[in-house]
Amino acid sequence: MTGLKGNGSPPSLPLPRPKSPPEYADLYRKRREMAKVQMLEREIGFLEEELKSIAGLQPASRPCKELAEFVTCNADPLIPVRTKKIRRSCCLWKWLCGASCFNVSSICCCCCQSHLERTRSHDCTTCSCSNPCKGCPTPKCNHCFCCSSRCSNKPTCSWTCCIPKCPSCLTCPSTRCVCNVKCLEGNMCSCCTKSCCNSCLFCY
Amino acid sequence: MSVAELKERHMAATETVNSLRDRLRQQRLLLLDTDVAGYARSQGKTPVTFGPTDLVCCRTLQGHTGKVHSLDWTPERNRIVSASQDGRLIVWNALTSQKTHAIKLPCAWVMTCAFSPNGQSVACGGLDSMCSIFNLNTQTDNDGHMPVSRMLSGHKGYVSSCQYVPDEDTHLITASGDHTCVLWDITTGLRTSVFGGEFQSGHTSDVVSVSINGSNSRMFVSGSCDSTARLWDTRVASRAVRTFHGHQGDVNTVKFFPDGNRFGTGSDDGTCRLFDIRTGHQLQVYNQPHGDNEAPHVTSIAFSISGRLLFASYNNGDCYVWDTLLAQVVLDLGSLQNSHDGRISCLGLSADGSALCTGSWDTNLKIWAFGGHRKVI
Repeated sequence: MTGLKGNGSPPSLPLPRPKSPPEYADLYRKRREMAKVQMLEREIGFLEEELKSIAGLQPASRPCKELAEFVTCNADPLIPVRTKKIRRSCCLWKWLCGASCFNVSSICCCCCQSHLERTRSHDCTTCSCSNPCKGCPTPKCNHCFCCSSRCSNKPTCSWTCCIPKCPSCLTCPSTRCVCNVKCLEGNMCSCCTKSCCNSCLFCY
Repeated sequence: MSVAELKERHMAATETVNSLRDRLRQQRLLLLDTDVAGYARSQGKTPVTFGPTDLVCCRTLQGHTGKVHSLDWTPERNRIVSASQDGRLIVWNALTSQKTHAIKLPCAWVMTCAFSPNGQSVACGGLDSMCSIFNLNTQTDNDGHMPVSRMLSGHKGYVSSCQYVPDEDTHLITASGDHTCVLWDITTGLRTSVFGGEFQSGHTSDVVSVSINGSNSRMFVSGSCDSTARLWDTRVASRAVRTFHGHQGDVNTVKFFPDGNRFGTGSDDGTCRLFDIRTGHQLQVYNQPHGDNEAPHVTSIAFSISGRLLFASYNNGDCYVWDTLLAQVVLDLGSLQNSHDGRISCLGLSADGSALCTGSWDTNLKIWAFGGHRKVI
């Protein structure tokens, strides 16, 4: 056999050397890096613009003042009102209303209406005022379709003042409505009865 | 240019960006002559006080069988849509507590829902990366399925938040785990604009919340896991109008202040913050000290109609009512009688500001309203 030496032993072969895989051009990697760099350079531009504009900015006290004024000038149905100041402003509001408010719907409110009632009858439910009157002691009830706008139970008619009525039945309370059950699982399902309105997922 | 050179340029640009951000922060600090609480105290304001029965739970909406993730009120009439881990949307009459619709969703992993301005449709989105629109005038079949009237597909990640553009039943904005927000034309099902993304300047991580300005519907704010909030103009999708830094963790929730010139944020860093959109100033931080314990994450926020109250829910079950002006907690709804048994995951105020709805991991929704008398002395 070829390669055999005179002494009979085969020639030693070089030991195998593992090689790294050939480097392929990763075009997407370069594009990704380029995109990242471009985004950063764009961000640098935006930040430099912002630094220039900051020189002309008003201090924080100005927007704080605007915010405080906005908050104090707007009534809030969720906030308790317990001060005497309301009465003074209400009296002032009523005086102003008496002088000029008749047909100005933007300042129409129940407070105005109570004045108007002295001059002509007016139904509060037709009031188109969208902003609650700042000094009004009897805000219009927006929530109960069962009680009149001049709710005699509580002057501040709200979610908790009236027992909501079943839409299909003018007289029964919602929790035991017997006339508006539409249970999909036939007329009875395992978790509700005929008198159930709310607990069964499929009853509506 | 080789990759190695690009990497060097990348490092240099990153250093420049960090240095510029630092300079901006320093310059802004010089302009922070006060915060809202400091100004309010100087004006002699006193905190809002609540009696034990002033804010009460007046309705409990039961029906979901899984965690409630999202809720939205109609702009008029008192209806609410809620989305739950049970894979359903439920539409409630909030006054009567009755369910008017129970919609079984094609994809159960829903994360967000919204009512259209006219109250005729609801939108939802989640892990299917799509936003589905349902027309409520369509009947459900016996299994509770309702046909999808429009499917908005195009996001490459989950849809975390959605909101209809006020007064426009044909447009809505979604926020997504693909780092973008999208303005959709529902009529065509197509994307009108994409805000952020791979080749545009925008968020660098998942966007998890969006809020559209009620006073100027061309402006909206997004909150992201990149710890920033960004203000966008829908006419300019290529870049944010402004980026708001400050939070040290994911910004989970954003909501415009009622005057439309400020917005609030809530974050994993446990704080809520108030920012001014015109100047970019951080006007107030709402932070409750927790000692050595890790601060609970803020999950959702809402402002009362006057802006005086900031409702903030946390992942430990608390639901603080902050006096926005004085930065003090004036009530914890989580500790009140009849409160939720689990984390409150979402909040929403009714259109007229008279009621707050909370949705919880205990599967219920609750409605809170003023239960006291308004005394005029």
